[in-house]
Amino acid sequence: ASSERAMAPPTARVTENTDRQPSQADSTETTQQIVDTDRSSQQPNGSAKSAESVPAEPKLSGAELKKKKQAEKAARREREKAERAAAGGTSVAPNTPAPPQAGKGDSQKKSKPNQQDQKSNQQDKDQKSNQQDKAQHFRRGSGTTPTSQKLPVRSSQPSTQAMTRKKPSSKEVGLFGHLYGHPRRQTLHPTPPKEVHPSVLSLGLQMSTYTVCGSNARCVAMLLAFKAAINAYTTPPQTSLARHLTSHYLSPQITYLNSCRPLSISMGNAIRWLKDLIIKIDPAVPEQDAKLDIADSIDAFIRERITAADTLIASAAADKIQNGDVIVTYAKSSIVQKTLLQAHTQGKRFRVVVVDSKPLFEGRNLARALSNAGITVQYALVTATSHVLGESTKVLIGAHAMMSNGRLYSRVGTAVVAMQAAERDIPVIVCCESVKFTDRVALDSIVGNEIADPDELVGEARGEARSEGGTDVEEVQGNAVNNQGALKDWRKRENLQLLNIMYDVTPAEYIKMVVTEYGSLPPSSVPVVHRISTTV
Amino acid sequence: MPSAAVASAPGISTFLKSLKGGTPVDNSIEHLVSLLKRRQIRNSRPCAIATTQLLLRVVAEFKGRDVAKLIERVRHVGQKLTAAQPREMAVGNIVRRVLGLIREVNEDKEEDEDISAISDFAVAAPHQPSDSLSRPTLSSHMSTFSPLKHGATMPAPATLQHFDSSGSSDSVGQDQAENIPRRPAMYSAQSSYTGSSAPLATSLFGLLSHPETPSGASTPSLQQSPGAKASLTARNLAGFGEDFVKARDIKAEVIDGIREMLDELDQVDDQIAEKALEHIHSNEIILTHTSSMTVQKFLLTAARKRKFTVVHVEAYPNEHQDTHATIMTGRKAGATDDADSDPRFKSLTAAGITVILIPDSAVFAIMSRVNKVILGTHSVLANGGLVAAVGARTIASAAKVHKTPVVVLSGVYKLSPVYPFDTDELIEHGNASNVIPFEDGDFVEKIEVMNPLYDYVPADLVDLYITNLGGHAPSYLYRIVADHYRVEDINL
Repeated sequence: ASSERAMAPPTARVTENTDRQPSQADSTETTQQIVDTDRSSQQPNGSAKSAESVPAEPKLSGAELKKKKQAEKAARREREKAERAAAGGTSVAPNTPAPPQAGKGDSQKKSKPNQQDQKSNQQDKDQKSNQQDKAQHFRRGSGTTPTSQKLPVRSSQPSTQAMTRKKPSSKEVGLFGHLYGHPRRQTLHPTPPKEVHPSVLSLGLQMSTYTVCGSNARCVAMLLAFKAAINAYTTPPQTSLARHLTSHYLSPQITYLNSCRPLSISMGNAIRWLKDLIIKIDPAVPEQDAKLDIADSIDAFIRERITAADTLIASAAADKIQNGDVIVTYAKSSIVQKTLLQAHTQGKRFRVVVVDSKPLFEGRNLARALSNAGITVQYALVTATSHVLGESTKVLIGAHAMMSNGRLYSRVGTAVVAMQAAERDIPVIVCCESVKFTDRVALDSIVGNEIADPDELVGEARGEARSEGGTDVEEVQGNAVNNQGALKDWRKRENLQLLNIMYDVTPAEYIKMVVTEYGSLPPSSVPVVHRISTTV
Repeated sequence: MPSAAVASAPGISTFLKSLKGGTPVDNSIEHLVSLLKRRQIRNSRPCAIATTQLLLRVVAEFKGRDVAKLIERVRHVGQKLTAAQPREMAVGNIVRRVLGLIREVNEDKEEDEDISAISDFAVAAPHQPSDSLSRPTLSSHMSTFSPLKHGATMPAPATLQHFDSSGSSDSVGQDQAENIPRRPAMYSAQSSYTGSSAPLATSLFGLLSHPETPSGASTPSLQQSPGAKASLTARNLAGFGEDFVKARDIKAEVIDGIREMLDELDQVDDQIAEKALEHIHSNEIILTHTSSMTVQKFLLTAARKRKFTVVHVEAYPNEHQDTHATIMTGRKAGATDDADSDPRFKSLTAAGITVILIPDSAVFAIMSRVNKVILGTHSVLANGGLVAAVGARTIASAAKVHKTPVVVLSGVYKLSPVYPFDTDELIEHGNASNVIPFEDGDFVEKIEVMNPLYDYVPADLVDLYITNLGGHAPSYLYRIVADHYRVEDINL
């Protein structure tokens, strides 16, 4: 029976959840005392009876849901199936309505060991779908023709919208063809699903315009937005929070965020953790408590995995800085900034060279922050790397993700700096929280990457414009005018393509050390740390 | 920076106009010096053209009869120009070549005189057997006069030669007396500008020298000088030993030689481009950067026959606008009336080549798929290293890591005898506001903004040089340097 279950479509999970409930209810009798009013009638029946009666409820609700959804979302399901077939499964899987529930009766008779099997099995599945979430920006559109690329992960509205916005494929660089999805959502014009919470809505737009940028910032902002969203959530009648929240409420939020900008590795890890957390919530726990619980857990996650980790890493990395050092860093990493500031407050005298690149100019913000703190800062662009490395003693860089094969996945250009540093035997130190570790591997920067809007290369410093004062905006516009003189019509020019990738992969041999909250390691230890941090 | 938008902005074109307009030559020198200082003429090619044109005027208006004084004059002008902008090495290169030209013409002249006047000296000829053996090649280009080529054993005599008119070069005089009949033929052959050594085979010594001469190993300006002298030497032999005639003849020959150099500058890109098909195969992915016209012509020539993909790195922040303009229109921004402009010239995209523009940061990411890196350069140094637009070092290093061959295209006029003992002093730093605009005043105040314009790329990162003479390994460049500059001119 269990093998059958494993073969069942992912949505069978809805029913499988219910199987687990009795056992959990046994262990948490105190919480059973304060269940919702609609369940309290069943409460006196005792755990033995609830084992049968509680599953009955979802059966009903499942059927109801199914009917509703079949009516209103038939088209969407069709598309999702097609897409899953094409893209090998995406985050929308949990969204799919319940399948025919023939197996229901069987599931109710399940024995405890089986249920546990089910549980782990299902967690696996859940993790998988989470991974798919996370990996979505690598996979989206893979192996699809330009026409199927316009099939987004969203409901029908965005798909039509994507159709109108679809670029001529001749503007897509062939080598990177698999990375082109539909363009980032920049507006709310194709109205997102009504369940997307306002805080998530605004966060999505902030992400797509780089207002919220950087792996950590995006992860924290997303978790906070989810916290607000979960706070505003009420479990519909006839279902339970654990079953409904992830698949029907969080998923649209995640999908929406993903349509604004592909999720980062850290976001994917956090989402995986959050889903895992939610799925484990005892349905007997009152909704309000469960929500508070989730909010607390999110806060704890941010505190432990990011804030505290940052503090640990910063102090560990700051110890590596000595008087007279010349530290080269690339773009902007919050953790590198923290490290340098901390070393500065410790009274160390050193110089920082910020290497930066078009089009985001994130390094300007770092240089600004450091110079405001009184650190001597030099600023150069990535082309001048060989010049600034001449007298440098250490290279300190942040990460977007650490791959399991020890390679560093970070802002495009990091590899250039690391390569030239390694050439000169200057140690390259990566500061990276374990939340950014992934079990994915990468050999080059082409298979997995994120393609940003190539028009960002035409105008100048659009990301900069938003994060800085008015004068800069003017300057940016002025420069954009200058620039566009040449490239304005690039889309009309046949055979001309602009490539704006976001990340590159730095070979592990360029990296001398990875500083994590678990300690300072060689890049070869990344998979080990990843395993520790995910299993603990 | 001068705004390129103003049509009448001072630059190479206004300078050339003023040269033709009959400004006194001293004013022109000062004009060029100020243009160089203000970077209103920049990059190797415009600098080389401006210098050549100016030296043409300087030589043409030189009034004296003394060759030593002419050399002194040219050297003085050269010192002024190079002092104005020492990092534009093309200026110094051209000055050195003109000096070498004058010296060579003068030496040839002296030899001819020796023949006609004091034939006794011919007896002394055999004392330099090695010299006379290598003479056949020498007679057609000055490079062979260089002690560098003969070996370090002979530096002093070479320096003395032109001061001591009855020097030890008599054996050569004899050779050239025999050479006389072929000279007119050579002249016409060279004026057709084939750059090949075939005409040499028409003479006895040509026959001997033919196998030794690397094909096209001589730059036309230098071939020209002995040829141009042909009719004049005949006159000398007829008994005109007068200084006056000699000075004028030398002047005429030097002017012809400088004109040939101008022709060379004009055609160097096309000559390099002719070799494109030998280096680019079908479906290649070629990475290049900046808006180098040499590279553009090279790729365009290949594009006529082959399909490939070009990955163009934009060289932000100093050259990205030119790069963008090159991609879109095939020529640099504001290069409307430059000598660069060629009405037939079109962009690579128009030639059906897929061009992918990437920012400089993506070089490493895409290098794993690139077949070949083709770079333009600012100048090439004697050790095989080069000074190119900033970013070249990054590209070359990434290519090395990925085992991608790096090909550098360079005209011989960019080849400089400078040896890079201190690479930092070769690097010019540009306008910091290109990196961070000065509008952001508070910020700029607090930090140090770096904007180097050039990168030094060491020789070991380069796999191949393609010049108008052919393809060379970086380790061979010192020979070409020796071929083109006299050792006494290396320090101007």
